[in-house]
Amino acid sequence: MNDRLPYDDRDWTPPKHDVTAQLGVVKFKPDDTAHLEIKDEQVCRERCRRKFCTHSCPAQVYRWEEEEKSISIAFEGCLECGTCRNGGCPYDNITMRYPRGGFGVQYRFG
Amino acid sequence: MTPAAKADAAGQATPAPARFDAIVVGGGPAGLSAAYTLAAGGASVVVIERGDWPGSKNVMGGLVFSQPTSQVVPDFWKEAPLERPVTRREMWLTTGDSVLKAAYESTDFGAEPYNSFSVFRSRFDKWLAAQASAKGAVIITETLVEDLLWDGGKVIGVRTGRPDGDLEADVVILAEGVNPFLAEKAGMSQGVKAEAIAVAVKEVLALPKEKLEDRFSLGTDTGAAFEVVGEITGGIPGTGFIYTNRDTISIGVGVILKDMVDRAGAAYSLLERFKAQPQVRRLIDGAGRREYAAHLIPEGGYRSMPSLYGDGVLVAGDAAGMVNAVFSEGANLALLSGKMAAETVLQARGSGDYSRRTLGRYGDLVGRSIIMKDLKTFEGMTSLFSSHKHFFSLYPQLASAAVKEMLTVDSLTKADKMHLITKLARSQMPTRRLIKDLWDGWRAFS
Ligand SMILES: Cc1cc2nc3c(=O)[nH]c(=O)nc-3n(C[C@H](O)[C@H](O)[C@H](O)COP(=O)(O)OP(=O)(O)OC[C@H]3O[C@@H](n4cnc5c(N)ncnc54)[C@H](O)[C@@H]3O)c2cc1C
Ligand code: SF4
Ligand code: SF4
Repeated sequence: MNDRLPYDDRDWTPPKHDVTAQLGVVKFKPDDTAHLEIKDEQVCRERCRRKFCTHSCPAQVYRWEEEEKSISIAFEGCLECGTCRNGGCPYDNITMRYPRGGFGVQYRFG
Repeated sequence: MTPAAKADAAGQATPAPARFDAIVVGGGPAGLSAAYTLAAGGASVVVIERGDWPGSKNVMGGLVFSQPTSQVVPDFWKEAPLERPVTRREMWLTTGDSVLKAAYESTDFGAEPYNSFSVFRSRFDKWLAAQASAKGAVIITETLVEDLLWDGGKVIGVRTGRPDGDLEADVVILAEGVNPFLAEKAGMSQGVKAEAIAVAVKEVLALPKEKLEDRFSLGTDTGAAFEVVGEITGGIPGTGFIYTNRDTISIGVGVILKDMVDRAGAAYSLLERFKAQPQVRRLIDGAGRREYAAHLIPEGGYRSMPSLYGDGVLVAGDAAGMVNAVFSEGANLALLSGKMAAETVLQARGSGDYSRRTLGRYGDLVGRSIIMKDLKTFEGMTSLFSSHKHFFSLYPQLASAAVKEMLTVDSLTKADKMHLITKLARSQMPTRRLIKDLWDGWRAFS
């Protein structure tokens, strides 16, 4: 995975853009079980200040919930790109699988 | 219903034999080209695809190149769902408010056998699957391959997510795309490295046909493709692209994942920035969003390639890192590698020997082909861009400032202007550094 962690001594700021409108035109067939998982919530809470996944995920699946002090996962809107398993979380703290066959994003153009 | 009875893209239920000569994982260009070639060569082959149809999970800019595609399906342009033949390509170097353009236009590209077409993968892959199916390949959709089946060190089949979903074959071709879960599990791939992968986001924007043709100066059967570098990616190594379709525009950006994360950047913010570039905004003004998509591109080239073959198993396409990052060509290499994998299997079938040694022929074929030659040529590019980030910010600025100075008519002589430009470049970057960059860039290309 990553040999070198990015500069991480700044606090989390929310993403500048919201992708709700973008996701609104995408067709999804959501499954009822999640295909994404945080491995260790303590790492998000205590080690990762910047909460990189909240920016790197193109679908804004990951959100930092300030009150709960944890990352919430809106897996229904996942575009199945794999960013979060390939360095999108520099702490390699996300397990990403593909959804079950026949579920998930369904591109009409692609 | 058994997965095999659920069957193929053409819709007929094909009764599946208990075992196949070959199983192909993934219905993208690599897998479908392999299946097409295998079926045409008389082998029994099944493609297993996780999406509802081949293409429903797939994303590209993008252009399908004519020459490699017709090596798999001759004269494909007569039938395939294509958007526009690309007759004009433009390279844009942008700063915040200006663009330096280089363009190439050819009427030749608009006539048979063409050079490239803009496509939508959701439609193109579906069509390609129907071609493979017409040759006799079985296409199983809505089925995720979760694991390989092993007998000692030899791959003998796959485990799917369906109940009783094991399938056996003499050989398994992994054409699973940029996230090679199975090749990683098999120890053939080390996975993709964040510094050698680009994350791309793309939108499809709709514009009435006449308006689109007017704006892009196109006829009904011509198309344009734009590669854009410069300030649009905010100094992160990457490119923007615009492709014209029949009555839509494909627009997107791809940036090196590692560099994006280092800056806690977001790909969609860069796309918004790209769309806000004045010269781009004019092209897409009033065009409504029809789709948003995200996908990774393996850009490590030659150095990040996994083992291509093992006992009873082959790896093709993006799963094997076969993308020419500089020209964002991957579908062509996927098609070619799928075909070579199939040819290797057809030959192994003659002797009934699917050992690593026999399948090694695939490695030789790839090694001698344009795939490896291209990958080797461009091997250094990704790391070069990553270590020379000013290629994406400072140089476009300097180039644009230089041209602006030359074009602005004022009281300075052209000689004075040249002097001014050199001074500007020197103030931004020591001469030694400039020369080193030129040298590094030249080396990466040659
Ligand atoms: C934004 C963008 C622009 C691009 N532009 C161009 C371009 O202009 N020209 C060009 O030639 N290339 C371009 N490329 C690259 C090109 O898209 C890829 O190189 C090409 O699609 C690779 O084909 P493939 O068959 O190897 O993989 P894919 O097309 O990714 O196909 C893999 C298939 O396997 C399926 N699959 C994966 N895992 C499983 C599993 N476990 N079980 C069942 N099914 C599975 C997937 O659903 C998918 O259908 C671009 C890529 C991107 C992202
Ligand atoms: S998942 Fe990774 S990137 Fe996201 S908050 Fe946790 S450690 Fe940070
Ligand atoms: S796969 Fe891509 S879209 Fe899905 S959660 Fe991971 S980064 Fe986000």
